[in-house]
Amino acid sequence: MPRVYVSSVINGRSDRVWARVRDFNGLPSWHPGIAESRIENGEPADKVGCVRDFRLRNGDRIREKLLGLSDFDLFCTYSILDSPMGVENYVATLRLTPITDGDRTFVEWTAEFDCPPEREAELVSSIGGGVFQGGFDALKRQFGGENR
Amino acid sequence: MIRVVRSTIIDTPSDRVWALLRDFNGHDRWHPAVAKSAIERGQSADKLGCVRRFFLRDGSELRERLLTLSDLEQSFSYCLLETPIPLFNYVAHLRLAPVTDGERTFWEWRCSFSTRKGEEAAMTRMVSEEIYDAGFIAVRAHLTASSGAGGHA
Repeated sequence: MPRVYVSSVINGRSDRVWARVRDFNGLPSWHPGIAESRIENGEPADKVGCVRDFRLRNGDRIREKLLGLSDFDLFCTYSILDSPMGVENYVATLRLTPITDGDRTFVEWTAEFDCPPEREAELVSSIGGGVFQGGFDALKRQFGGENR
Repeated sequence: MIRVVRSTIIDTPSDRVWALLRDFNGHDRWHPAVAKSAIERGQSADKLGCVRRFFLRDGSELRERLLTLSDLEQSFSYCLLETPIPLFNYVAHLRLAPVTDGERTFWEWRCSFSTRKGEEAAMTRMVSEEIYDAGFIAVRAHLTASSGAGGHA
């Protein structure tokens, strides 16, 4: 099963970064690849089991289900229900961890999925390098340069 | 029960940091508080259950047992068996994770313990600053000094 792992350091306290990313319906507010999003059936975005239906800037439409959300451990886990990506059994987790040495946050985004072997490299690259790293790069811009 | 969590970023790839930290008997080479260390019964330092007996610079003698070691997760856990310091039921967990958008490493060091009434603040400060934060600084210096390239200063 292909696995994607991308991690980075955001120059903001973990509670502030979490406030930005915990909204399961909030991708358009921080991720540059997402144009619009809504939660189906009028449910709250922090109701575990809710489904977000969102559209990428390239027009692709994806539906994802919230599987787990923790304000204590600062993670969000979700699966893909429908997408044009050609993946099966896709489950991803976005996790934040405070860095006590400075007001910074360690962010990790992982995904596992099934796909035809010949598409694995392309999908790992587009999910990890495109979607996940693209999101982290946007957060890094939004929270400013690192104090190192 | 008191819990302490400290974490930092080291400007070195995690494989190099792990190569230094995974040696359960190697802390006398980098931690400023540790004078000398030996594994009891001539066991290998990566054998689960092995015990390290070590001396701090102030002469205190401590024994700690290796509870978990994972090269996959780049983490290990250990507990204190004997100590002259009032740290009871001390269990610690150290883990590394690569920062994939840069040749860096996230390092988290956490523990839980209890102590004598009235010593909570002093023990928390000692563990947080004299063991963990001092360890971060020492490893950073050690890796910089031993780096041939010196490109991550």
